[in-house]
Amino acid sequence: MAIEIVRPGKYSLIVSTPVMPAAGTLGFADSYKGLIDYEKLGALVTNPVTVDAWNPAAGTRMIPLDAGVLLHTGLPNPGLNRVLSRNRKAWANLPIPVILHLVGTTVRQIEGASSLLDEVDEVAAVELGLSDGLEAVEALAIVRAAAKMEKPLLVRLPFYECQQLALPVAEAGADALVMTAAPRGTARDAHSGRLISGRVYGPLIKPMILRMVGRLRREIPEELPIIGCGGIHSPQDARDYIEAGAIAVQVDTATWAQPKMLERIARDLGGWIATRQKDALLDEWNPDMGHTEALQRRVTPPSANADTT
Amino acid sequence: MRETQAYIERIKRINRDRQRLELAVDQSLSSILPGQALLVRRIEKDYEAERWDPYLRALWFPVEAHASNILTIELPANEQFVPGQLLSVIGPVGQPFRFRQKLRNILLIAYHSPPIPLLLMLRSLLERQASVTMVLMGSARQYETDHLPVEVEIIIAEDNLTWSDMVMTLGWADQVFAVAGPGDELKYFADIMRLMRERRNDVPVNYAFGVLQRPLPCGVGACHACMLNLSGSKRLQCVDGPAFDLTTLRLN
Repeated sequence: MAIEIVRPGKYSLIVSTPVMPAAGTLGFADSYKGLIDYEKLGALVTNPVTVDAWNPAAGTRMIPLDAGVLLHTGLPNPGLNRVLSRNRKAWANLPIPVILHLVGTTVRQIEGASSLLDEVDEVAAVELGLSDGLEAVEALAIVRAAAKMEKPLLVRLPFYECQQLALPVAEAGADALVMTAAPRGTARDAHSGRLISGRVYGPLIKPMILRMVGRLRREIPEELPIIGCGGIHSPQDARDYIEAGAIAVQVDTATWAQPKMLERIARDLGGWIATRQKDALLDEWNPDMGHTEALQRRVTPPSANADTT
Repeated sequence: MRETQAYIERIKRINRDRQRLELAVDQSLSSILPGQALLVRRIEKDYEAERWDPYLRALWFPVEAHASNILTIELPANEQFVPGQLLSVIGPVGQPFRFRQKLRNILLIAYHSPPIPLLLMLRSLLERQASVTMVLMGSARQYETDHLPVEVEIIIAEDNLTWSDMVMTLGWADQVFAVAGPGDELKYFADIMRLMRERRNDVPVNYAFGVLQRPLPCGVGACHACMLNLSGSKRLQCVDGPAFDLTTLRLN
């Protein structure tokens, strides 16, 4: 199965299954080697990368919530040049395309990063992460700067500004929209007693983002794909996003709790979409169906051929 | 590192506060070394009915490793488990402790934390004829030690973090491993370093190690939430830890 997850034009970005990790969950390259079969995924979205190195946040970085987690890591990374030099070899060995998540900071930095990334063959596409609270004018300038790149540009929208930015970002040159970054929240750290702000992850996020995806699917041009991201914790969650209008999904922190869930969602969604396209009955695909069985169902067995001739 | 299944074979209450679970684990985990841990999650009978509370995997440091693929885990007695419970286990997580080759005397310090990450080393050290002293400081003084090997010398520190023969103990030790309460470990490690610097001429490299036991979101080096500042570099607790040289770990 081949699914084009960016709009026509520029270079294409075709994935074999419409499931990938969300930025920040699977590391820069192959951290989950041995735990996840990368071949089963559509693409690898890297951890967020900034042009200059960023240090980890000071103080508490993780607070467990009821059925979720609040994270404030500070997006530590060694900067674009080092990320490229350290990971290019690993990316080249991955069986799936690599989407580099670039943090949108200033127009000047994005322009420099774009020209550099155009030269990196191992990066198939760039996902631009727009910061929360960014002014619309500033956000659009950053998107326009990144859109000059030859590689496909996915833009991950901030949760709270998603509604407001979606259409302008689409017009500014995005080749696909990722909806959305995890919402921000505040929780009390039981150890220090302090209130900590960060991004909130968990199954409860899904209904909110699912609604946005459904709503914005009707508002933005049809040829612009939407990738749903937020709170996906089961194959059914992923199917819900597809039904709401997303062409693909990104799975976030569920992978940390259950690494195999990412692979399982990929297998399920890939099979579901394949059978749906062929007008097959939904129950012809089941999540535990192996590839061999799936192939056998599609190919007429040799013995059957012999009988008919 | 692999994801495997384990099941709780036996549960034993060892005192009023603590219980020990015997886990039947995959063979790949039977050779787990002191310092290495497991990331554990209960398995529901129906995979589709996955429960997400608690959300992240628990970090368990085994306290004993037996032949026939059994690991012993020590946990607070108020956590509910039943024999036969299936668990999903990712491990081994982290790097083994780096002991000096000619280790004769080792000092273990537990400060505002039960000494769990330090217990797996006891049997092998005692078999090597090493002398082991364990100092319990702060709230760790309430940790009952009757179930520990009798050869381990237990010292209960005073309120001001001192104990009798402190200078001798610190001078005598070839290596020190310390655990501290989660949340404020770096502050507590700074206290321990201050104590050592006051009572020793110097604290050499590869002498004193702080063992971190913060909960790990991913445990494989992907999320970078456990990143630590060391002098001259950055390291991850899950990949490079859990033990870090206290002379290089930035404690401020």
